[in-house]
Amino acid sequence: MASDNVDYCLEQLAARGFDHGEVRATLSEKDELQAEFNVPSMLRTVRNQTLELAGIVNHKKAELTLNKTDPQSVQDAVAQLWDCASAAPADAANAIAEAQPHQVFTGPALSPDLNTMCDRLDEFLDHTKSSYPSVTLGMAGVSHLRTRQRYANSNGVVFDSQRGHYQAQAMFTAKEDHDVSSFSYSGVSTYALDKPIAACASFDRLMANSAAQVRTRKIPQKFTGDLIITPDCVGSFIGFLLGSLSGGPMISGTSIYKEGLDTQVGAEMLTIRSLPLDMPAGYFVTGDGYPARNVTVVERGYLRSYLLDLYAARKTGLDRAQTAGGCYAVDAGTQPLAQMLASVERGLLVSRFSGGKPSDKGDFSGVAKNSFYVESGALAYPISETMISGNLADLLMNITAVSIETIDFGSSHYPWIKVSGIGIS
Amino acid sequence: MSLREINPSAYANRFDGYTELRLQRNASVNIVLLNGDLSGNTRSDNSGVSSRVFQDGIWGFASRPELGEADILATIDDATRNAKFLAGRSGRAHVALPSHRASHSADFTTQGARRTQAEIVEFLHQLDTFITTEFPKLKSRSVQLADLDMEKQLFNSDGSSAYSNITRSLVVVNMVYINDQGAPVTLRKAFGGRGQFEDVFSQPSDLHAEISDLHAHLVNKLTAVVPRAGVRDVIMDAELAGILAHEAIGHTTEADLVREGSVAADCVGQRIASPLVSMVDFAHSYDGVTLPVPVYVDDEGVTANDVWLIKDGVLQDFMHNKESAQHFGEAITGNARAYQFYDEPLIRMRNTAILPGKDKLQDMIASIEDGYYLMWPSNGQADSTSEFMFGISLGYEIKNGQLGRAITDTTISGVAFDMLKTVTMVSDEMTWGCAGMCGKKQIIPVGMGGPAVKCQIHVGGE
Repeated sequence: MASDNVDYCLEQLAARGFDHGEVRATLSEKDELQAEFNVPSMLRTVRNQTLELAGIVNHKKAELTLNKTDPQSVQDAVAQLWDCASAAPADAANAIAEAQPHQVFTGPALSPDLNTMCDRLDEFLDHTKSSYPSVTLGMAGVSHLRTRQRYANSNGVVFDSQRGHYQAQAMFTAKEDHDVSSFSYSGVSTYALDKPIAACASFDRLMANSAAQVRTRKIPQKFTGDLIITPDCVGSFIGFLLGSLSGGPMISGTSIYKEGLDTQVGAEMLTIRSLPLDMPAGYFVTGDGYPARNVTVVERGYLRSYLLDLYAARKTGLDRAQTAGGCYAVDAGTQPLAQMLASVERGLLVSRFSGGKPSDKGDFSGVAKNSFYVESGALAYPISETMISGNLADLLMNITAVSIETIDFGSSHYPWIKVSGIGIS
Repeated sequence: MSLREINPSAYANRFDGYTELRLQRNASVNIVLLNGDLSGNTRSDNSGVSSRVFQDGIWGFASRPELGEADILATIDDATRNAKFLAGRSGRAHVALPSHRASHSADFTTQGARRTQAEIVEFLHQLDTFITTEFPKLKSRSVQLADLDMEKQLFNSDGSSAYSNITRSLVVVNMVYINDQGAPVTLRKAFGGRGQFEDVFSQPSDLHAEISDLHAHLVNKLTAVVPRAGVRDVIMDAELAGILAHEAIGHTTEADLVREGSVAADCVGQRIASPLVSMVDFAHSYDGVTLPVPVYVDDEGVTANDVWLIKDGVLQDFMHNKESAQHFGEAITGNARAYQFYDEPLIRMRNTAILPGKDKLQDMIASIEDGYYLMWPSNGQADSTSEFMFGISLGYEIKNGQLGRAITDTTISGVAFDMLKTVTMVSDEMTWGCAGMCGKKQIIPVGMGGPAVKCQIHVGGE
């Protein structure tokens, strides 16, 4: 559908009188094999198509998404888009990407191998039953997603892309007699199902943890100590920084990092990158109409890039990021995990964080889930009803170690991170 | 085109085994005025057809965006083929789903004229002008409109047929000040609920009092104190009681999570809460009033009934879809709901609430010597253990029975099946809301309600 429909949409936008127009046409297909309660339960095939239209007239902009491509639907959508844009206040920051050469991007794994998907899921279910008999998989699945997309705008930009990847995910709980663990989950995005699911990402480690976390205890007393943050929840702790670098907080002026470019925002051992070109769950073209690039956001503790799209960049007067964000990776450190753990006098090993939305200055508190109390350098026991609190900006400055070992989730890539000075109650 | 113009029962001769056919359209509007600039101005219209087929204990599902006759037939065929393929590899002993026939039509779209885009933007602009005029020292403000219409047309091989168009319109206002320490202090509030924009919002001035109230609370937060961490006596106001009902108890009593191992599995008939606590997942109405997310027939074609989760402190029933009702040997409840046309129905709550008691809020506050009055949640999450967490965006100290200083954003947590036993007072007022989305593989709008509740809870802080 891509090329003809996109050309037709751009023609209609121009004919209606828009000064600038852009169109993104996407054809997506998904095959999902699902299991519930440790047995296969559903095969789901989803096809969809979307047309994302944007039009600017007299610096007034509107956007509209529909999933019909026939001429009448497009004409109706363009008419509605005109009404929406006409009613908008003018904003000189509204713009579309400037002229760029035509590019075609093609990724791997464009077709699903349904039998291998079935075999891998069966293997995972068997492995779970035999290795973790107390664990029930509430929902587990293997999917293949593929998209074909054309982005074009009235400045002559045309980008074609197609890509596919597999996803595997599982949510699970362990139970013995009347005692039950917290729910846990893991997931991975991958180009090939070339190894058992359980061996990918954190599946085996977290199912083993759940089996060991059926009976928990409270921590002995409130204290200030260390956290070892597992790769499964690193995203929860760097999310405040990354969110504060994006358009909303930067435009409104509420980001605590708004004057922070090239200043220190984390410990020297912290490097954060956005790698959309390297990850199976990545992308080739940004939402604002540019080829995506891998970007170093934080380099050895120093902020090197905001995460601003074209509109936010024009609005703030800062540089546009060459990534649309996501696909984050934290560089591996220099300490073996075992050495990090051995260095903890008193603290927690945290695999999941269930917390309230942090304040704009980064204050946070929440519950340490699927976690262990650590004492004298060793795991002591699994915990429940334990809250951790602090400030997320300070937390990044108080990183004391980053592990050599990392976990590749296919949509992110993280090590274990040790931080100090966290309130634990 | 309204989905009413398509007759899904005309495709029944294509069904092979238990089959559902659903046509669905989700239409949304999102307009954001950030500091007066229109930073978001989007509309979305997604429609399509899906079919789900059950054979030998296996589901086959397929969907397409087109709604033509050939597309609908192909979708049914794809779903049937998927069920047969997987049943051929992994089919289980024949499982018969409960058979049930229902029919209903519910349309919550406006009967009046639709407002134009220009009128809606002007409405938001007037709200923004009110805010800047009345509160000129704000560092930042945003006014957002979020509308969602979900139109569904369902037919299944049991002969059930249902049409619904459930609508929601919300205006969300966010305000930010910078405090004396140079740190941003934020507070937001959603207004509105069931219905399309025209039926929910009349004049911008109708919201002035509530926006002024929001601002007054934000001013109080500028000098907020950090709460003292630990287990405290608190009053959870109605919004928090609603999210408590949904997150902490509701999820643990969804039958699929019960099968996964939820702590509720072994507690039916047991006292898990104070006798003052009763809780219901209402299908569509309470006390003669239509609720925020009314479900009359669910997406499996089952008549939606109220489910008593807790009665006088004792755990009662679970929420079911057809498959879980068959597994547990219990009655179907009508809790199967799907968000988009390409989503399969899952066990979801509808309108979950703690029922009101007999106490007055002022008496409840007066009964606390040293504690907190927790008013607005920011987010929440539950667990199979019934351990929960809610973010708190607005709360106040209670000292000697009087409200004191505002507290900073914090988090509360507890184990619901323990915490609910500490409930000693329940207010006689009931408040409903539907500003949030519940996430469980798919997102979906849910209603939450409750009175104010006095209990003991773990408060995060210093």
